[in-house]
Amino acid sequence: MKEENKSASGKGVMGGIIFFAGFILALIIGWVVFPNLLYSQKPQPMNFNHVAHQDSSCEDCHAFRADGTYAGIPKVEKCKECHESPMGSTEDERKLVEEYIQKDTEIPWRIYSWQPDNVYFSHAPHKAKKVECKECHGIMGSEKTLPAYKDNRITGYSKETMKMIVCEECHAERGVNNECELCHK
Amino acid sequence: MKLGRRAFLQFAAGAVGGTLLSPIPWQLMDDSAIWSQNWWWRPSPERGEITQAATTCMFCDGGCGIQARLVNKSRAILLQGNPQNPINAGGICPLGAAGLQFFYAPYRVAQPMKQTKKRGDIGGLQYISWDEAFTMLSTKLAQLKSEGKARTVAGITGQRRSSMDDLWQQFFAGYGSPNFFRMPSQADSLELAAKVTLGQEVPFAFALESASYVLSFGANLIEGWGAPGRMQAAYGLWRRENGEKPATKVVQVDSRCSMSASKADQWVAVAPGTEAVLALAIAQILVKENLYDADFVKSHVSGFDDWNDAQGKSRVGFETHIMSPEYAPEEVAKRTGVEASKIRELAKEFAGSKNAVVVWGESSGNLPGNIYHDLCYVALNALKGNLKSGGTVTLAPTVPFEPLPGLQMDAAAKRNLEEQRLDLQQSPRARLNGNGLYAFLDAASKGTPYPVNVLMVHEANPAYSLPENKLFQTALEKVGFLVSFSSYMDETAQQADLIMPNQMALERYDDAIGVPGVPYAYYAVASPILKPMPGTKHTGDVILALGKSLAGKLAAALPWTDYQAYLKKRVEGLAASNKGAIADRAGMELWKLQPGDLVQTNYKDGADLWKKLTSGQCWYGAPVSAAQKIETTSGKLELALSSLSFEDLPDAGDKVYLPHFAQLSPSGDPKEYPLLLVSYRTMSLADEYLPNPPFMTKTVWDFVLKGKELFVELNPQTARSLGMGEGSRAMLKTPQGELPVRVHLFPGAHADAVYIVEGLGHTAYDQYIQDKGVNANSIVEVQLDPVTGLGTVWATRAQLRRA
Amino acid sequence: MSEAEHAKSNVLYGMVIDLDKCTGCTACSVACQAENNISFLADDSNKVRSITWMEIYWLQNGKEYPDYQFTYLPRPCMHCNSPHHSPCTFVCPVNATRRDETNGIVSHIYPRCIGCRYCMVACPYHARKFNWYDPSWPQTMETMLSPEVSTRMRGVVEKCTFCHHRLLAARARAYLDGTELNTVTYTPACAEACPTKAIAFGNLKDANSDVAKLSKDQRAFRILEKLKTEPKVYYLSKHQWVHKLGDKGLSA
Repeated sequence: MKEENKSASGKGVMGGIIFFAGFILALIIGWVVFPNLLYSQKPQPMNFNHVAHQDSSCEDCHAFRADGTYAGIPKVEKCKECHESPMGSTEDERKLVEEYIQKDTEIPWRIYSWQPDNVYFSHAPHKAKKVECKECHGIMGSEKTLPAYKDNRITGYSKETMKMIVCEECHAERGVNNECELCHK
Repeated sequence: MKLGRRAFLQFAAGAVGGTLLSPIPWQLMDDSAIWSQNWWWRPSPERGEITQAATTCMFCDGGCGIQARLVNKSRAILLQGNPQNPINAGGICPLGAAGLQFFYAPYRVAQPMKQTKKRGDIGGLQYISWDEAFTMLSTKLAQLKSEGKARTVAGITGQRRSSMDDLWQQFFAGYGSPNFFRMPSQADSLELAAKVTLGQEVPFAFALESASYVLSFGANLIEGWGAPGRMQAAYGLWRRENGEKPATKVVQVDSRCSMSASKADQWVAVAPGTEAVLALAIAQILVKENLYDADFVKSHVSGFDDWNDAQGKSRVGFETHIMSPEYAPEEVAKRTGVEASKIRELAKEFAGSKNAVVVWGESSGNLPGNIYHDLCYVALNALKGNLKSGGTVTLAPTVPFEPLPGLQMDAAAKRNLEEQRLDLQQSPRARLNGNGLYAFLDAASKGTPYPVNVLMVHEANPAYSLPENKLFQTALEKVGFLVSFSSYMDETAQQADLIMPNQMALERYDDAIGVPGVPYAYYAVASPILKPMPGTKHTGDVILALGKSLAGKLAAALPWTDYQAYLKKRVEGLAASNKGAIADRAGMELWKLQPGDLVQTNYKDGADLWKKLTSGQCWYGAPVSAAQKIETTSGKLELALSSLSFEDLPDAGDKVYLPHFAQLSPSGDPKEYPLLLVSYRTMSLADEYLPNPPFMTKTVWDFVLKGKELFVELNPQTARSLGMGEGSRAMLKTPQGELPVRVHLFPGAHADAVYIVEGLGHTAYDQYIQDKGVNANSIVEVQLDPVTGLGTVWATRAQLRRA
Repeated sequence: MSEAEHAKSNVLYGMVIDLDKCTGCTACSVACQAENNISFLADDSNKVRSITWMEIYWLQNGKEYPDYQFTYLPRPCMHCNSPHHSPCTFVCPVNATRRDETNGIVSHIYPRCIGCRYCMVACPYHARKFNWYDPSWPQTMETMLSPEVSTRMRGVVEKCTFCHHRLLAARARAYLDGTELNTVTYTPACAEACPTKAIAFGNLKDANSDVAKLSKDQRAFRILEKLKTEPKVYYLSKHQWVHKLGDKGLSA
């Protein structure tokens, strides 16, 4: 009886360990391996050094248009204002000048916050309600290199693309209208 | 230790627990939901900055101001009305609103093409380079010229109120051919009516916005008559007093309850084609009861009293002529079906209204009218005194351009050139020379007295849109070489030996010189707001290049480097006149301008005017009083055609000199063809150069077009007598041909008529346009007006039998 | 949101269509199609399959020649205002169509729609259309699609939104300019296109607006008022027979 009891309790401990091993392994896969599998890293056409542009204000490049829409990433025309010919000697700048400014083609940036076609987002109300850029975009101004662009293999959108639940929660917390059509078109 | 089934389950349970506490299930669920919304084959419109670019609409000659919404300044997504433009004041018509469907149409011609097989074989049309196309045409023209056959080169344009028309004329005059024609328009006969009555060959204009009483004889006022944008805006003004009585009373005389009739305050239903006799009955009442403007008639009208012709022979005047029992209300009531008492009422109401105006438009409003009937309406306006200064009828003002550089040709040479025009070689010859397109086609099909070796067609699709279009087809059989400048693979382009695709309205420089029916002077430029399709070329540039390659007189006549330079030069010339002004703000009510009003110039110089015009603003000037511009020999408005001779018709009496009811008799035996086929237009079907875009086709009723079948309108009683009901299939037969149709019972249809819509039945273009219904133009009959020789259409005898 | 909150809102967008000014040119319907990326079919004469948001109806007085008369009646979505009982929002099982309590606009969200078409059955105005096919355009015409409105997919319902995206654009401007949001006005594509200015649009709760005044005009009526759906689209007509037909229901 005792033997059996002992063995039963040993079995229980053993069972706990096996259960725990499975539990831990699943957590590791879920939290570490899976995200790496889910996202593929895609390169940007070139690097952009925000630090090197600190002599200009954020709004110089990331500004509202007269019609109330937000320009987002500036067009190559904007780059041309300063970089008509190279100012420094980096490879990225050479690429900018030779491949984009001189050929007058837009830089095919991958946009971290790209939303689906059926989503409407306006920066204007968020700006008016004093939501800071970094709350959604992180602090970008002090980055020397662009963050990695992680493409979700299932959805095809960026990892940074905000999901509806995040929008909704913030709207709910602030008592803002959460009507579907406010953000869907 | 042995790991058994139990251990595996324990491990699995742990793994499940761990997974549930990890993002895997939730993320996967969420991402799959997003994935399920990715329908990759659905187009995803490019995003970007949205801007606006203003220009002038060139989809018809209505001259509306429009603006395009552009994404990233390159991609147009919407055409809107320009609120600053005085013609349309921000509104737009369906054709304009759907206009981008032409720009982005799959049936555009992307590059020049030549026919390598038999004409009309679409498979034989092959892409060639511009160099090859240009050489082909210029060699041909040079050769004909050197052989002394310049006159065998002919042209047809659909763009009459444009500098393109002037450029073509310059080209033809310099090249040495008189055979340049335009697609038919109501202006053709209006110009001639103004020529014989006022001595000025310009069309009439009507102060409709300020009218208090509009009496319309068959003019489809809100279905395409005149300038559609302007007419819609005017209609809005007429109805401006909400709730109360509308500001303007509109009376529509029409055999069919058209939209214009139904929306009028009163619809006077008449037998088809009898509008003019009703006008004469009203004129009789006006004269008989002394309700006309005797002062105006006395001071400004000749031919009212009896008059002497050039031979000194005394002839009856209008006053006596109109008293003929033929025009007595009781007699007219029999013809028109309108009760005599109603005619009297109408006459009194017309006479008693302060700003009354008579407008007209038989032939569904876009074709020349019967000249005698035009004169009846002019007479009615004259009796009312509408042509005096400040009256409701004026003459379309000209835009004061500088003349184009002169051709080194004296008047005699020019007249000689004109005399050789093919339409004037026909017998019997027209008494008044107009835009004799039909007589020209007739001569071309006979090949006498000389053949047409080259025919150039510009901004027109006569193979489809010309009434009785088989006349074009017949002529084509004898035409040596057909060049189409169409931007689209339309029915005419399909027949061409050479296609030199023009740039489309939104990608080229163009202009609008005046607006049909609008009293004030108007000029607007269309500038390219979109990047031209590669492979297309402005026809103006082609003409200018031809001028250079052919040298001789042409080079001097066409000195500009390109079309833009030519247009700019014209604008500089306009600026040099120092007349008119730019309409630079919204809400300008230019219709309030009166003849003689001083318009303060608000542009600096030619460059400034060009800048303003190319930014989408328009130029305007004061209207022109008809009474003050009379240039007849008598110095008065001539109600009697004293400038014409009818000596060859000794039995015709004095009536032929005066406005009278002169309905042309359609061919065919009324016993065999008991019905009258009348075609009508609607705003939701484009029926000229442009085909109907898919957006507009969507708004076409399913009792007008269902699948591939077109419905004709028939009065329910007539249908019953023919044993037909709603949707019955039938054969519609006229002396011109036979078409399968279906029947729609329409209580607004006159019992003796069958009505067919225009704008359907294309055989070209794409699946959204072709093979939808039948083309009315293929079975209607065109009759040449005996005085002007212009092709008119009022009705065609028809029979409808069950199929 | 609660009824109290709805009552508090000072904004209620509505439309007044003057049928006496309407000339049946159909520019409203065409402009709507261009503005809202509405797809078309090779055969659009099949009106059950064809998609239109601003549909045109033919009303006739029922008399014979020459007393016959007809009028066109353009019909957008009525954006029914009966609280929580707009017929479509009431039946939607997935909350894909809702009435915005702050401005009265009835929305429809395509990715959420499951295509059950209950709303189409419920709508007494036939204002809703179903995508029987994948919306497709000739390839060259894809270039003219607007990024302001998303393209739909096969199997969902769509309808007039009162050009809600134009409201959002106007509000974005107002946020930046510091304009009071309740005073924001905008013009839907149909009203903007109308060449006779027969369509007025604005805030019904603003007593000074054209729509507020016109909706109280003695010529004003609404379609099927007896159903108590409280449409926010009013019509004006001087003809009693038009009023009567509006009450009876329309047939195309």
